[in-house]
Amino acid sequence: MTVIETTNLTKIYKRSHLGKVYLTTGITGVSFSVNRGEIFALLGLNGSGKTTTIKLLLGLLKPSSGESLILGERTHSAKVLKKIGFMPEVPYFYPYLTGSEILHFYARMSEVDDVGRRVDKILDLVGLFERRNKRLSEFSKGMLQRIAIAQSLIHDPEILIYDEPISGLDPLAISEMRGLLLKLKSEGKTIFMSSHFISEVEKVSDRAAILARGSLARIVEHGAWADREGELERIFIKEVEGASELGKIKI
Amino acid sequence: MKKLISVAYYTFVENIRNKIFYVILLFGIVITTASLLMAAISGQQNLRVLLDFGLGSIEFFALLTVGFAAVTLILEEIQSKTIYLVLTRPVSRSTYLCGRFIGLLLAVFCGMAVMAMIHLLILFLNEWHFTLRYLLALGLSGEKIMVVGALALFFSLFSSSAVSSISFTVFFWILGHFSQEINFLANRSKGVATKVVGKMIYYAVPNMQYFNLKDFWDVPNFLGRWVAVSFIYGIFYTAFCMLLCLWLMRYKEF
Repeated sequence: MTVIETTNLTKIYKRSHLGKVYLTTGITGVSFSVNRGEIFALLGLNGSGKTTTIKLLLGLLKPSSGESLILGERTHSAKVLKKIGFMPEVPYFYPYLTGSEILHFYARMSEVDDVGRRVDKILDLVGLFERRNKRLSEFSKGMLQRIAIAQSLIHDPEILIYDEPISGLDPLAISEMRGLLLKLKSEGKTIFMSSHFISEVEKVSDRAAILARGSLARIVEHGAWADREGELERIFIKEVEGASELGKIKI
Repeated sequence: MKKLISVAYYTFVENIRNKIFYVILLFGIVITTASLLMAAISGQQNLRVLLDFGLGSIEFFALLTVGFAAVTLILEEIQSKTIYLVLTRPVSRSTYLCGRFIGLLLAVFCGMAVMAMIHLLILFLNEWHFTLRYLLALGLSGEKIMVVGALALFFSLFSSSAVSSISFTVFFWILGHFSQEINFLANRSKGVATKVVGKMIYYAVPNMQYFNLKDFWDVPNFLGRWVAVSFIYGIFYTAFCMLLCLWLMRYKEF
C-alpha cells in the first residue's frame, strides 16, 4: 500500500529584492511513492532538493506545481499530520524549557491521551528520564538529538520523516540511530529519510531515490546493492557526477 | 482551545524564564524606586511626581519588553526552525500565532504587576490614598502594550527583519502620540492629496492618547465613558492587527 506519493512535485522559490524577482529552482517534476513499512531514503548532494521535498511533504512549503499525498490525503491536513513524526536536520528547542516540559508541549500539540505517562515512557526509551527536569540549554548535542527522536515518537506516528537523521552524530550515536530505525521498521512504521551518508543508507533502507539538481535521477531497489558492498555509492556517484554547482577543490 | 492554552502557557513560561525579561524587570524596579529621589527634590508635588514617574516607568519598560519580544516571537522561531516542530503537528497556524501572542502578553502583564506592586508600596509609604484611577491607568497602559505588541508582531511577519520591524513599530508608536495633530492638520489642509494621506495615517496608526489616563488624572467626570471607549478601541485595534497577522501567516512559507 502506498503511504506517500508525489506527482510532478515542483518548487520554484521566488525572492524579490529592490523590485527585481529572482527565481531559484528547488525541485522539478519529482514523482515517487513510498510503500507502507519500508525505509525509503532520499539521497543527494547538498542543495539537491532533499529538504525542499521534505518541507513540501509536511506543508511547510507550498508546491509551485504538482502534488503530494500522504495516506491518500493532502499532506498538510490535520488528520495526516497527526500520523507523522518529523525530525529536522538540526533540531532546536526552546532553551528555557526542561526536557519533560518540551515533550509535554509536543504531546499536547499532537493530541496525545494520558500525556504524563506517555512522556515518561518516551523519556525512558531515549535514556533521558533521569535528566527530565534539566533545562534544554544545559543539554549536550547528543542529548538534544535524543529529545528530537523523542518528540518525533511521542504520538506514536505511523510515518516518520527524518531529515538527515545521522548528520553530525558521533559513531556510537550513528550505530544507535541505525538500530532505532530498524526497530521502528520492525514495528511496522514507514520511514522516509534524507541523507548523504550513503554507507548508512545502504545498511538500513529498502529503496533509495537519488536527487540531482532538483530532479529525480533514479530510484534504486535494495536488490541492486544488497550483494555488493559500496554498490549504492557507485550508483550514486554515477548519477550525480557533474551535478554539483561548486567547482572541484584543487588538490 | 486546549492547544491554544498550551501554546500560550509554554510561551509564558519561556518568557518568564528568559534572562532578558529579568534584566528589563530589574531596570523597571530600579527606575520606579528612583522616583523616590525625584519626589524628594520636588517639594509639595512629591506624591504626584512619584505617581507619574512610576506609572511612566512601568509603561516604558513594559513597552520595551513587548516591542522586542513580539518582534522576535515568530521571527526567532523561523530562524531557529523551532516552528517546524509545531506546524508539522495538527496545530493550525492561527492557534499557534494567537497562543504565542497571548503567552507573551501574559508574561509582560506579569512583569507590569510586579513593578506596580513595588510602585504601590512606595506610594503607600508616602501616605498616598489608593484610588481606582491607578488601576485604570495601569489597565490602559496594558492596552497600549497589547496594541504595540500586535503592531510589532505584524511588522515582524511583514518585513522578516528584526531591525526593520522594530523601526516600523517605534515609528508607529511615535506617530500614534501625534494622531490627533495629524487629524487636525488633515482637516485644515486644502490640498486633497495631503488631506487623504493625513486621514490615512490618522486611521492607520493607533491613537495612543486613548491610553494615557495618567495625563488626565485630575480631570473630573469623564472617566467612565472615556475608559470604556479606550478599552474597546484597544481591543479592536489589536484584533485588526492580529487578523492581518493571521492573513500573513496563512501564506507564509518556512
